[in-house]
Amino acid sequence: MSWFTNTFKTSIGKKLIMAVTGLSFICFLMAHLAGNLTLYGGENAFNSYVERLHTFGPVITLIELGLLFLIIMHILIGSVLFYQNILARPIKYKVYKSAGGRSLGSATMPYSGFIILAFIIFHLINFHFADKTNNTIFQIVAEAFANPLYIVIYIAAMIVLAIHISHAFWSLFQTIGVNHPKYMPLIRIAGIVISLIFGVGFGFLPVYVSLI
Amino acid sequence: MQLDAKIPGGLLTEKWDRNLFELKLVSPANKKKLDIIVVGTGLAGASVSATLAELGYNIKSFCLQDTPRRAHSISAQGGINAAKNYSNDGDSIWRLFYDTIKGGDFRSREANVYRLAQISNNIIDHCVAQGVPFARDYGGLLANRSFGGAQVSRTFYSRGQTGQQLLLGAYGALMRQIAEGKIKTFPRREILDIVLVNNKARGVVTRSLITGTIETHAADAVVLATGGYSNVFFLSTNAMTSNVTANFKAYKKGAFFANPCFTQIHPTCIPVHGAYQSKLTLMSESLRNDGRVWVPKNPGDKRSPDQIPESERDYYLENRYPAFGNLVPRDVASRNAKMQCDMGKGVGETGLAVYLDFDDAIKRDGKDVIIKKYGNLFQMYEKITGDNPCENPMMIYPAVHYTMGGLWVDYNLMSTVPGLFVIGEANFSDHGANRLGASALMQGLADGYFILPYTIGGYLAETSMQKVTADHPEFKDAAKKSESRINRLLSIKGKRTVDDFHKELGSILWEHCGMSRNSEQLLRAQNLIRELREEFWENVIVPGSGKEFNQSLERAGRVADFLEFGELMVIDALARKESCGSHFNEAYQTEENEAKRNDKDFCHVAAWEFAGDDNEPVFHKEPLAFENVELSQRSYK
Amino acid sequence: MTSTTDKKNINLTLKIWRQNGPDNNGFETYYADDISTDMSFLEMIDVINERLTLEGKDPVAFDHDCREGICGTCGTMINGRAHGPEKGTTLCQLHMRHFADGDTLVIEPWRSRAFKIIKDLVVDRSPLDKIIQAGGYISVNAGKAPDANAIPIPQETAETAMDAAACIGCGACVASCPNASAMLFVGAKISHLALLPQGKPEAMIRVMAMVNEMDRQCFGNCTNHRECEAECPKEISITNIARLNREFIKSGLF
Repeated sequence: MSWFTNTFKTSIGKKLIMAVTGLSFICFLMAHLAGNLTLYGGENAFNSYVERLHTFGPVITLIELGLLFLIIMHILIGSVLFYQNILARPIKYKVYKSAGGRSLGSATMPYSGFIILAFIIFHLINFHFADKTNNTIFQIVAEAFANPLYIVIYIAAMIVLAIHISHAFWSLFQTIGVNHPKYMPLIRIAGIVISLIFGVGFGFLPVYVSLI
Repeated sequence: MQLDAKIPGGLLTEKWDRNLFELKLVSPANKKKLDIIVVGTGLAGASVSATLAELGYNIKSFCLQDTPRRAHSISAQGGINAAKNYSNDGDSIWRLFYDTIKGGDFRSREANVYRLAQISNNIIDHCVAQGVPFARDYGGLLANRSFGGAQVSRTFYSRGQTGQQLLLGAYGALMRQIAEGKIKTFPRREILDIVLVNNKARGVVTRSLITGTIETHAADAVVLATGGYSNVFFLSTNAMTSNVTANFKAYKKGAFFANPCFTQIHPTCIPVHGAYQSKLTLMSESLRNDGRVWVPKNPGDKRSPDQIPESERDYYLENRYPAFGNLVPRDVASRNAKMQCDMGKGVGETGLAVYLDFDDAIKRDGKDVIIKKYGNLFQMYEKITGDNPCENPMMIYPAVHYTMGGLWVDYNLMSTVPGLFVIGEANFSDHGANRLGASALMQGLADGYFILPYTIGGYLAETSMQKVTADHPEFKDAAKKSESRINRLLSIKGKRTVDDFHKELGSILWEHCGMSRNSEQLLRAQNLIRELREEFWENVIVPGSGKEFNQSLERAGRVADFLEFGELMVIDALARKESCGSHFNEAYQTEENEAKRNDKDFCHVAAWEFAGDDNEPVFHKEPLAFENVELSQRSYK
Repeated sequence: MTSTTDKKNINLTLKIWRQNGPDNNGFETYYADDISTDMSFLEMIDVINERLTLEGKDPVAFDHDCREGICGTCGTMINGRAHGPEKGTTLCQLHMRHFADGDTLVIEPWRSRAFKIIKDLVVDRSPLDKIIQAGGYISVNAGKAPDANAIPIPQETAETAMDAAACIGCGACVASCPNASAMLFVGAKISHLALLPQGKPEAMIRVMAMVNEMDRQCFGNCTNHRECEAECPKEISITNIARLNREFIKSGLF
């Protein structure tokens, strides 16, 4: 296994893990969003989607465990990279300006990441670990979003997620070595589009649910 | 002392092979026991360090810069010549040899120049194998361009950064040997003295530019690859740290200095713009492939260039030299620019500039093609002047660029001090009185990769030497002398800065020993330099101490040597009572104002021996024999 | 075009980082009066230093050599920008015409854990040499090479390799990177050599060795901010970092 550790202990190796785990979250979020869109079909559509999902049983558990593992990797390695990057410049500049490279997304990656982590915990406590013995999932969701504070938290979190992904998407392609003058502009546009879809798609749901 | 150039006998074409066979070899086991000091990490220094290490020698490599990759070879723009004849335009080793000899106005050694032309092809092969990204044509084969003084296309290039790419190749080879443990590198070190033991060069005294510590290093031979001395003029295209110190110390220790007055003034540089100017920037000669040089026909014509109609422009190079046109050799182009400006036809604010115009080339080939060829040069020009050469013609003026003179070496590149070898621009051997474009890179790499690695072995094999260490009294003595000189510089605490003295020295030399010279001016210059030198040692101010990073002190030591060396240049110029190549004495010119050689009395190398601080140097002559080419008046008409 | 009419002299306030020893450091203020706009930035520092020398003060130490933008020796931060505000420009190519009368300039050395400060604005960039020593070359001894035209290389490949090979090793990428990462420097060298057929035999060993050395020298990690590309005086593209990543994946996983 020496080749494995040798590869992944390097800075590029660690970034590769960030890229691949990040990519898997984007895939997960797509599926999650697609499922959540059933909310627009009303209570029955959403509940039947959730029931249908649960018929997969152990597979879902397996995926959940997988995601948990990937999230832990993403957080741990991201934190190590963040820490190393702070150490790499012990004395800061008195004046430090961007030459036009940085974006809101890239400059805030670690911070948006930690906010998203906090949100995920909040989100899981709300819905995943909620007591479902007497309520359908739709009821739980509807109840939660009856509280305007929840709506604000969710929308804010989705904006942060969109910012995170606006940098993450093209950046992961760059990290796995996919960058070519011909198609990199498309990847960058795709990154913006995907972060908008996630932001708007997830972000509008609480509002919609609270309206019905 | 009779100078023996040790040129092998036999046919010109066979001399180098014969020499290689006659040189004694050092066995691989013995090479491991031999230490060699190499000063400088430019093309010559880096390539020789790497190659000697590949052969098994232990190398100590010294440079002034913070890393070997920044040596001044990096600034060479245009290209490197080789007799590959890939262009199928009739080139050959013989033609490259002939062009170089003729370009040097018949003041270089036939045998050296022929060897250079022979080796030129191996250099290209080796550099390509190292990954130097030379320009290529659409078929993927190597591209060539033309350069001054030649009618064939034999110059290989990497955009306008050929020197950089070749140097990075040699630097890579050097780094590889450092990793292998065969080379120990000493960056940010300056050479304060060369140490001789039993009349053989056995080491150097250095100063760490970071801590100021004076160190001594012993070896079995010393190689100087320290470049040229153009900075004696203060304003030149050389890097700020380029200096003559190591060479001058070697001269003071008995190495003869050859032809110091042969300094090349490059025709295409960005003109001087103010008194604060610190250096001059070269615009590659390759620009003359497509750019047309002109001035207004009427003196004092101050209209902007686009207002001057074609009929009132004087394309003086094309008119005077129809065969070579804008591609005449550098000395000819420079002198003509000066003549035009002297007639009052110069352009720009100062009247000390001529136009280099790309308008016709852009009309002919399109802007894209011209930008592709010269984009980075145009960009460089625009950064400095704020002017775009695609819209307005460039303004150029000659500037000191390269020095053909240097320490005298024999065919094996050894100076008159046994065990002291001198390569690249630091020696005098291959370019005569004028160097052709794209030949400096060729010579540096030929010396470094393919000549010295063999010839130094010959010396080491046949010389019996005791091992010496840096504890030897000669080292201690030299270190002490160096230190006391530093202390003396620091203790003067006068009223004029080092740069102030340097600027004055530069202007004395530029005015009196520049593009054209005469005996009266040279004599005046000699006195002015002496006076300035005296004042320097009484009135210079060097802040700080010797035990720290002190850039003023570094410069002070170099300028002190330039102040002595400048006089040697003037003495040499005075002694050469003829005009040849870059050395143009107004008393010796043809009716058409071309340099007029005197082959009867001056077909020789002038080698100067140091005879003490208060004495004039002693003149030695190495006669030049031309058995294979006919001495002719150079004509580029 | 800078003509005689708009030629003028300007006055500037300079806040320069002075350091001599680990504890003796801080910003000092200098007034640069009557500076010609035709001067280069380094010539302006020369003028300041001449004045300081005559006043019996210690001149500002700064690295510089060729002063034509190719040796890579010079470089400082000016108001938070590596090599100053102009794109594709080294410090020595920066001219005072880009500043306005009355400007205040904060001048700092490259800051990174890997680059130790020697004095004032001078830093030690030898970690970059160490990375090259790890493998930034093609192993060929003098004398071994085949004919130069034995291997045709498509023009486009040669040009792309040349784009990467144009790196001058100034360290602006490290200085401008929010993480002080050297990935653009390493990426440029890896790209140059990996693109050319001559560099292929060693490509797999090279990339691993250079990346390991880069990490050992304590440079930061690349998070694709693209500041390096924006500040590189030779405008080297981050596509070279992507190529480095590709080469690394090939070497590490296959």
